[in-house]
Amino acid sequence: MSLKLDFGLDNETFRHYLNGHAVVMHSHHYLALITKLAEELSDIGGPQLLKDVVEESMWAVLNDYVQKNGQTSPLQRCNVGREYYSVYGLGKMKVSGTERGGEVCLIRSHIDEGWIKKWGHHTKPVNHFTCGYIAAMFAVAFDKPAKSYRVTEAESMAVNGTEGTFIVTLS
Amino acid sequence: MTVMRDTVVKSLAKINIQGDENGLIPEYDVLVNLLPASLLNTFSERIMAAAPPDKKSTVADGLVRAAYECGYHTGCGIITSDVFNDVVLPMVTEGEKDILRGAFAAFTAWGWAKSGIVQLKEGERMVIRANDYYEADSGGEGLRAYMLRGLCQAFFDLTYADPYPDGMDTFVCHQTKGIEAGDPHGEFVVTRK
Repeated sequence: MSLKLDFGLDNETFRHYLNGHAVVMHSHHYLALITKLAEELSDIGGPQLLKDVVEESMWAVLNDYVQKNGQTSPLQRCNVGREYYSVYGLGKMKVSGTERGGEVCLIRSHIDEGWIKKWGHHTKPVNHFTCGYIAAMFAVAFDKPAKSYRVTEAESMAVNGTEGTFIVTLS
Repeated sequence: MTVMRDTVVKSLAKINIQGDENGLIPEYDVLVNLLPASLLNTFSERIMAAAPPDKKSTVADGLVRAAYECGYHTGCGIITSDVFNDVVLPMVTEGEKDILRGAFAAFTAWGWAKSGIVQLKEGERMVIRANDYYEADSGGEGLRAYMLRGLCQAFFDLTYADPYPDGMDTFVCHQTKGIEAGDPHGEFVVTRK
């Protein structure tokens, strides 16, 4: 792994930091239930809201890292997003593509595997969180603002139990 | 000797976690994640803002429920973990009360909230005071420490309700004060449901 990890602790508040950003631990139960809550609130745009929040938040974290570490090539920048995803415990992905878009294969997935552990297989894709994450990763890789890419989950690990596939297109 | 909170907090706070070769963090009998606090706060704030008035309490309940189930299952993994056995159990002399004290020390050490028990009637009622918690940074109106409500309820259920996993939903937690609402600290009261 090439990502530099600077874990910090505020000795007064005991808040934890990773590369200067406050982070907190939770479990698959939490993200599974947050995903389900978003699904249940589809009438008010819950899944899209979750994607948007993840994209905006992760764009800020990833962009901050590439700026501070002088990473300029799309490959380097994309690798930052891919490695951060694993450091956060969200799973393991393979990424291919260009500035026009691409494809991400999810080999392991905290959210999908967590969903299956909790409720078994689902009938439709549920990984809205990772759609937002990938949109942020591509935007930072190609030096674009958030909301530059649209990501759809074409194949879902929560459904098929094996791998997830996400299609990325330029908005 | 009873549980020395500061010792436990300092010991546990040093532990950093990150994903393994599969990008996963299998710990405490669950899959752990490590996420930016701002992301979690922003989601809570935006989903509450998007909910129409007649749905806001349902959405708030959903946010508390996510934290509760996370806390109940992960909390059980924590209080039966090797690290808890090594650090906390040697100090336990007052049974369940000390386990609960140790659990709240872990709660502080892992960055959920700088908090502690200020009143305890065993098996009946508990008051938690939090002097710092990440949800205090979220925008919005009113008391909104959904995560802390869920976690406080979970830890009390684990300690005083039927043994895991049969003790869910025995107690309930209400937030009575919040830094996010202008109070000097957050206060959380757990009582029987």
